[in-house]
Amino acid sequence: MSRLLVEALAVAAKDLRTEFRTRVALNALGLFALTVLAAVSYTVGPYRISVEDRPFLLSVLLWIVIFFAALAGLDRSFVKEEESHTAPLLRLAASPTAVWLGKLGFNIVLIYFLMAILVPLYCILMGYKIQLVGGFVLILVFGGYTLAVITTIVAAIIARALTRGALFSVLSLPLLLPLLIFLIQGTAGAADGTAETVTNTLRAVLSMGGIMTIVSAMLFPVVWSD
Amino acid sequence: MRVADILKWLLLGWLAVVIVAAFFYVRPAEGFIGESSRIVFFHVPMAWIAVLAFLVSCITSVMYLKRREPKDDIRASVSAGLGLLFAVLATTTGSVFARIMWNSWWNWDPRQTSIAILLLIYAAYLALRGAIDDPERRASLSAVYAILAFVTVPFLVFVVPRIYWSLHPDTIINTRGSNEFDLRYTQVLMASLVGFTGLYIWLYTIGCRIEAIRQRRRQEVL
Repeated sequence: MSRLLVEALAVAAKDLRTEFRTRVALNALGLFALTVLAAVSYTVGPYRISVEDRPFLLSVLLWIVIFFAALAGLDRSFVKEEESHTAPLLRLAASPTAVWLGKLGFNIVLIYFLMAILVPLYCILMGYKIQLVGGFVLILVFGGYTLAVITTIVAAIIARALTRGALFSVLSLPLLLPLLIFLIQGTAGAADGTAETVTNTLRAVLSMGGIMTIVSAMLFPVVWSD
Repeated sequence: MRVADILKWLLLGWLAVVIVAAFFYVRPAEGFIGESSRIVFFHVPMAWIAVLAFLVSCITSVMYLKRREPKDDIRASVSAGLGLLFAVLATTTGSVFARIMWNSWWNWDPRQTSIAILLLIYAAYLALRGAIDDPERRASLSAVYAILAFVTVPFLVFVVPRIYWSLHPDTIINTRGSNEFDLRYTQVLMASLVGFTGLYIWLYTIGCRIEAIRQRRRQEVL
């Protein structure tokens, strides 16, 4: 077990180090998010939407920005191994589960990094007032985790296919849409102060994240070593 | 006559009786505009087959990953193709009902949302199959995707419509666990479910045979 963790941490550390050298995924995620945020904030702004519509509509826009930014960059973790032909060596160096854990860790770091910059900026620029801040943070944390789990396994699949870029969104979105629906409703609930919606959402997101984690852990060795 | 032929004629007869019964045996249900409630005898079985086909696709995918037999991959892909067909039919019949009852073809009701996502999942699965050349890799990767996608189905079918407010009439298995159709409705609906399941099995076996022949031909050419 400890060996697995050591290997997983090594994979994640390696990915983070190479990422900070080239910053391909970070640039894709960050610039995409900032560009869309600028566009949304310029065209919609804080006052274009009426006060009663704000909790829901701003929640929709926030999650669309986060999801599409994630789709722009989270496939890098596996695609770059195939593109630079380092995947066979990684297969020899670490067990499949360790690779999966490491890549998942890397994607989680990326998505939390994105959220840490984007969400406060969004709230300031769009004038998004959150009543239940604790619930909002929990939704972001668990939503980001589930998003990372799903995109990690899909990235592993598409890295082995031919048309990678387009396929990543095509395969990820149907799996992500239920999550997107939950997160939008939950965030709207957190914004207008309905605690019940927040707890319902957290239950749904947590169960989805848990199931996806287990299924991914079981299926990843097939995708990786095939 | 072979057993398969007898079964085929039985199935056709059964479905003919179901169709006649759907229009003449039951009265239109209360609370629904005109004759619109009759669509339930076709809409519900189609939605059921769409989910059943996905279940079969998931099970055969698991079997493929265990045994690595090409025929399991054929089964999974044929079932996914049929699932897509029935999901389109369920969406269309549901949309017709929505137009009559709620005066709009499409209004992103949770039920409509979940069937639309189901359609997307099937389409994505078939897109993935199209994007991989190597047959073995295609089989195992699409098997993984089918299983992943199937895990999200319970969230779509059971969680999304339960958490959020919906216009959709209660499903057969509703939140209170009771069946509120009257007896004749139940009879015809169950008969229709059996008939459509038979239709699915028939189409599925034909599809598997055709695909097996196609693959053998491809190997002969190579």
